[in-house]
Amino acid sequence: MKSTKFTELTQEQIDRKWWEIGDFFRRNSLWMLMYCTGCCAIELPPAMTSAYDMERLGMGPMATPRQADVLLVTGYLSLKTLRRLIYTYEQMSEPKYIVGFGSCTINGGIYHDSHVVINRLDRYVPVDVYVAGCMPNTEAVMNGFVDLMDLIKSKKADGWKRYHDNYDWYKKNQEEALGEVRIKDEFHE
Amino acid sequence: MNSMNNIEHVQSLMKDICSPIKENIIDQFQIAYELKQDDIHKTLGYLKNAGWIQLSYLSAVDWPDTNEIEVVYILMNWKKPVHIQLRTRIDRENPVMPSIISIYEGAKYYEREAHEFFGVKFPGNPDYEKQLILEKWDDMPPMRKDFDPRQYSDAHFVGREYSHDFTELNNQPSKQAKRQQRKTRINSLDKGGK
Ligand code: SF4
Repeated sequence: MKSTKFTELTQEQIDRKWWEIGDFFRRNSLWMLMYCTGCCAIELPPAMTSAYDMERLGMGPMATPRQADVLLVTGYLSLKTLRRLIYTYEQMSEPKYIVGFGSCTINGGIYHDSHVVINRLDRYVPVDVYVAGCMPNTEAVMNGFVDLMDLIKSKKADGWKRYHDNYDWYKKNQEEALGEVRIKDEFHE
Repeated sequence: MNSMNNIEHVQSLMKDICSPIKENIIDQFQIAYELKQDDIHKTLGYLKNAGWIQLSYLSAVDWPDTNEIEVVYILMNWKKPVHIQLRTRIDRENPVMPSIISIYEGAKYYEREAHEFFGVKFPGNPDYEKQLILEKWDDMPPMRKDFDPRQYSDAHFVGREYSHDFTELNNQPSKQAKRQQRKTRINSLDKGGK
């Protein structure tokens, strides 16, 4: 007969359970911050509106980085936008996830030989899910979101932890490309 | 009102100002002039008084073959539907074009952009040398035709490395031959398909 006696859980196990419960709610209410840098952003309107209706996945747009869970990087990034993206990413509260859209975020895409566009996004910020394609069609985008949810469930969406662990490496790459991450131009003086 | 159409009106105006090197009527709404460098300021000032109060574009074109850089100004008039384009060619090795911010103040940013992308100097504009768009630039102006963006990109941005050359996976013949064929055909169309 199965014992009805509860086994004592260690504090660590209890924390893990709570985290799992948290993950359940988190993955079913992903609020996204759309950082529409490139042309892939045009796939978002059909995904958000009635054609594909991403709200049935519990996803909705959020106005500020501080309240958002997912950062959507939709396409190529110039140095100027990369700087702002890092700003935005660091403002988000944890846990936070990044979805990279299109081949531009993967390896530079058709802008691989451009003099202003960075080639690999995951050298600068950790990316959890890539949606490949130029541009990825809306089904692929939706699929990417479902993948992200699965990854959260299986605890593999740990980009923000990687960012902590390899912070020096990321910072080094950022500084290599940008000099200094701080925004410093005539409009911010 | 008057019997002249807009293009004729511009032509009669230009007759009073200077003698353009080249005139080019693009359609009933656009007319282009190529001028000597010294005539540019005079013409712009005159046209501004005549109603072309907005400078809608200022940029440059690189002509490495003739070793020249062409500076382009496009003016717009809110009352008459005709755009005037003024162009002038300057030396490519040392491109200097006196600033026009005394006439069109908004040219300040256009000139900074043209300096950044083509290396044209605009004396008279106090901060034409300040960076506007590019960041950490350490190479020749990128819109010059002899600039190699791929080389710059390879040197500055790390690409993704693949253990495998995926382009070889689809063992199709190279598209180069097909492209060449198409090109030959297009060229032959000029001569009636021969
Ligand atoms: S992957 Fe293609 S569609 Fe997406 S931003 Fe890059 S060029 Fe545009």
